[in-house]
Amino acid sequence: MASPAFKTPVTDSVAKINHELAVGEDLAFQRKWWRFERALWVLFVMIIALDCMGAFGRGPLAKSQIESADRAIEADYERIERTGTPSMMTVKVNEAAKVDQIELFVSDSAVSGLGLQRVIPAPETTKIGSGGFTYRFPRGSLPAVVRFEFQPVGAGFYHIAVGKPGEALMHMTVAVVP
Amino acid sequence: MTLFDFVIVFLIGGVALQATVGRDHSVTNCFTAILAIGLMHRFVAWLKDRSPRFGVIVDGTPLVLVKDGNWQLEVMRGMRLDPEDVMAAARAKQIGSVFSIKYAVLERNGTISIIKQNES
Repeated sequence: MASPAFKTPVTDSVAKINHELAVGEDLAFQRKWWRFERALWVLFVMIIALDCMGAFGRGPLAKSQIESADRAIEADYERIERTGTPSMMTVKVNEAAKVDQIELFVSDSAVSGLGLQRVIPAPETTKIGSGGFTYRFPRGSLPAVVRFEFQPVGAGFYHIAVGKPGEALMHMTVAVVP
Repeated sequence: MTLFDFVIVFLIGGVALQATVGRDHSVTNCFTAILAIGLMHRFVAWLKDRSPRFGVIVDGTPLVLVKDGNWQLEVMRGMRLDPEDVMAAARAKQIGSVFSIKYAVLERNGTISIIKQNES
């Protein structure tokens, strides 16, 4: 029979209690662990509270609104979004917009960063250039609402600009969480 | 099984499910994901062997719940255990009274070991 390659003598290395029962209890470590656990629970509660408030998207803190200087256009959007989760930006063109046709410029970052999926209603024409897209819609009675459906592809901060082409644009910063 | 082993078992299940229902349905994806977890398990086991302190962090430490017939209340409260839990383990060893327990130890795998009064 082959002898074992390595051998070491058995020693009584496990800590005992009352010098009789080998348990290996480490109460000092366990006390530190309980303190760590308590801190962790506080952190978890804070994360859940922040999540309920919308700090990670889909809540009151995440919703935001912006309007153009002449109050002709206003946009409701989510300033905090989640990767891969659909969201909607609503752009409302008010009566203050004295226009014959509704044209909206949306910067390219709405596609490359926020993953623009759909524009509702479908625009009559789409022009590309000037770092974005200019959508033209058939005009009905005002106010009119155009919806942009996003589905962000990656986490990060994205800056998008929306507004009437040739005029001061509304600039938004959207944080996308993983 | 220790808590870490439980996590590994559920993780393998979860990864297999994710690899099956996720965007990448390939067997390669599923196989390599499970293989990675298996290797991670071996790596953690190796680390535990090399460093007892790391082993204590991953698996915890045995804790004495009853010593010389006295409840160790700090440990009981810390581990959210009731005397009923200890007595359930005692009954499994045909011990019907708390006075017959000399030591009760919460082991790293979550079981409670009972040492009778007359055994030590």
